[in-house]
Amino acid sequence: MNDVMIRAEGLCMNYKTGVEKGYSLKQGFVDCFDRKKRAARRSRSEFHALRGLSFSVARGEVLGLVGPNGAGKSTLLKLVAGVLKPSAGRIEIFGRVCPMIELGAGFDPELTARENIFLNAAVMGYSEPFISRKFDEIVAFSGLEAFLDAPVRNFSSGMTARLAFSIATVVEPEILIVDEILSVGDLAFQEKSERKMRSLIGGGTTVLFVSHSIDAIRSFCSRALWLERGEIREDGEADSVCDHYRRSAVCGKDDESA
Amino acid sequence: MSYLLRLLDSLRRSRFLLKQLVARDFKVKYKRSVLGVAWSLLYPLLTTAVLALVFSNVFRFSTPGVSYVAYLLTGLVCFNYFSEASNLCMSSIAANYSLIGKVYVPKYIFPISKCLFVGVNFLLTLIPLYLVLLITGTGLCWQHLLLPYAFACLFLFTLGVGFFLAAAAVFFRDVYYIYGIVLTLWLYLTPVMYDPAVIGQPLLQNLIALNPLYAPIRFVRTVMLYHETPGIGQFAACAVHGALALAVGSLLFKRTQDKFVCYL
Repeated sequence: MNDVMIRAEGLCMNYKTGVEKGYSLKQGFVDCFDRKKRAARRSRSEFHALRGLSFSVARGEVLGLVGPNGAGKSTLLKLVAGVLKPSAGRIEIFGRVCPMIELGAGFDPELTARENIFLNAAVMGYSEPFISRKFDEIVAFSGLEAFLDAPVRNFSSGMTARLAFSIATVVEPEILIVDEILSVGDLAFQEKSERKMRSLIGGGTTVLFVSHSIDAIRSFCSRALWLERGEIREDGEADSVCDHYRRSAVCGKDDESA
Repeated sequence: MSYLLRLLDSLRRSRFLLKQLVARDFKVKYKRSVLGVAWSLLYPLLTTAVLALVFSNVFRFSTPGVSYVAYLLTGLVCFNYFSEASNLCMSSIAANYSLIGKVYVPKYIFPISKCLFVGVNFLLTLIPLYLVLLITGTGLCWQHLLLPYAFACLFLFTLGVGFFLAAAAVFFRDVYYIYGIVLTLWLYLTPVMYDPAVIGQPLLQNLIALNPLYAPIRFVRTVMLYHETPGIGQFAACAVHGALALAVGSLLFKRTQDKFVCYL
């Protein structure tokens, strides 16, 4: 039996949606004195993104997440990354999580690629000697040697994504979060990154993979989790979950057009 | 206490990140300016020149016994540190939203990195300050060795206020506007441009003494301008204000930080 890397029990995540609208100091002040009103406001404006998920992911498993928009996939990834704290339930992570930041959200556009590699590595919690050791490998994989001292603001989105992918994968994380990133970069880089992903998977990295491309899920994942309205609709072998999901998605569309 | 130890431990582990963030701010700040870092030295000198011109010639302010320019600059350097650092702290969480929403980063890193970044700038502004001290004939004394104590207290006080503002600004954008006004008022309430001794009323003088920012400024002036060793009261005032601000600010920050992501 493989050891568990991620374990979720009754995981719930509620967002307060109503507060966004015109919540100001004045409103907060008024609410301080009116507890009833505050409670009412709170319950009215809650959005249940995840409603009691329980699952676990073993070491080396590649779990695909599928589901329509708003099903809670990204929320789940954020909980795994530790960015959000669950409203109820528990999530336990056993290992270092490396979220692949899509299109280099952690990059500073004014800094050069070289400076951004260090900044990004620091953000992801790596040490200075470690990243200095891996630096050449990252640059070689990204294929951006010629642009190392150009500011990232001049990069195309494909180049930025290549850099982000290279930093995230060269360091061989224990748990890798991939949110729709493989589709960026040119064809050659897509192939290269696919190979890299496969070698990571072979090397025992646990991967959480979100994609709307059913084919990508099928080809990478051993197991898939189908989320809908914050609940697990199906959890099982990737091929069969994908089949069911596709069928339901197509049928749903047919119903709408009819 | 154990919380403090844990904080220091995680700070030690994040020092590479801290270093990178400070370096980033520094590089970005002077990226497309011709004079670059020289602005750190020039800026306080030029503002002092303008203020000195206005206040000593137009309003006829004077500080008996010491050079008015030196008096002004010592206050201004400290106050500018506070106002710039606390302002950057205030927007530090919102500015790093894209990061905070994707990767787990200890969030208190951001206000700390801003206070350190402006701190490096502050140390640079000490160069023109010492030049002015020499030019105006104010001179030096051994008590200057005590100054790091006042700077450290100012740093802690600013960090505390910064924590408070950073957390508050996430939930209420009004804070940006309010704080702009507060800072302007604070500048005039702090004896930066005038000597509190010129105010006749003792009540007002006592109120000024309560101003937490005045404690380190007074300490710095006691040493730099009057060549005296600050009394025990001054040492205590600096430490108490710094510790109090830090305690309140970091507590508020710690209690609200898990909710930041939902409000950004």
